[in-house]
Amino acid sequence: MIVIALGTGFGLSWYALNDGRLFGAVEIGPWQAWRDVGVPGPDPYTRAHIARAGALELGASEGLQFVATFDSDNRRLDRNCRYRIDGSTPPARFWTLVPVAPDSGAPITRPGGPTDFHSARLSRAPDGSVELYVSKTLAPQNWLEIAGDGPFDLVLSLYDTSSLSGTGANVATLPSIIREACA
Amino acid sequence: MIRTGLWILGGLVLGGIIHLVVILLLPMLSANAAWDRVAALGPAEGMQVLAAVSTDKPNPLRLDPELAYAVCRVDLRKGPGTVAGNLPRAFWSVAVYGRDGTVVYSTTNRDSTSTLLDLGLFNPAQTRLLAEQKLDIAEGLLIVEAQEDDLLIVVRLAPPHPAMRARYEQALANLKCGNLPT
Repeated sequence: MIVIALGTGFGLSWYALNDGRLFGAVEIGPWQAWRDVGVPGPDPYTRAHIARAGALELGASEGLQFVATFDSDNRRLDRNCRYRIDGSTPPARFWTLVPVAPDSGAPITRPGGPTDFHSARLSRAPDGSVELYVSKTLAPQNWLEIAGDGPFDLVLSLYDTSSLSGTGANVATLPSIIREACA
Repeated sequence: MIRTGLWILGGLVLGGIIHLVVILLLPMLSANAAWDRVAALGPAEGMQVLAAVSTDKPNPLRLDPELAYAVCRVDLRKGPGTVAGNLPRAFWSVAVYGRDGTVVYSTTNRDSTSTLLDLGLFNPAQTRLLAEQKLDIAEGLLIVEAQEDDLLIVVRLAPPHPAMRARYEQALANLKCGNLPT
């Protein structure tokens, strides 16, 4: 009984704060965000997530941050693979996309090179959609060179956005993350 | 059989209780909240510009490499808090955090044309004095009421290009942050 109790208790807590899909995190394709992370008086799960992450979360009126740890086919993001990030983003003043190391949060791009994609500095298709590549090997269009080995996360920050604020219509427009080739 | 089932059921109920206790206690027990991380960086008084994110340093606060950040802590027990100054004509935003890292208040310069930041932070007692007009404040002050006395203020500023970062960080450093004279 004790084993079951400890297993359920801590296992469920760990799951709630790491995955959190059942507990206040929203999931749009491969992207996840904690909906109430920037509002005053969040629910206990969001509060625990904030305490555990220890990050400076974006306030609700500042923007919203999505994190992807898996690609659109549910495989862990791996630095040895080339990823195409394809599609359009919700209306926002601007957004940034940063590949980071899961544990330290530091960008994993080539030292001395650009650390991220910025929405104002991209080449776009005539309909405004973007095609971004994250890989160690040279890629066409907008390419961000990464370094190192092991898994990584993608952090998409939308600033001054209304994407989850109830109007709702734009929520489904986050780009997909497609694994193309692995070394 | 029934006995085993009861043991399992008991285990699940106890597990549920452990789960709730963990979730509710975590914010109180966590030693690596954003507050502590910022406090470790420098003194409480005045605006402090955070170092730019780079590939060779850990980024525990999960800052965005595109933005410049300035942080400041105020203690409302010493009087109402204030953050004021001029910022460049670019995206900027202000967030006020409590000790546990939850956001008390946040705003942006919606239209990108506003360059003046003038924020006043008041606890419930000071808000009452304000309503009774016993506190003298300047007109146009953006009034924020907070339920706690220890507040962390973070100003985010987005340089349009990385080359302009130094000038934008200087603008952040010039912001005034502290307690209003009463």
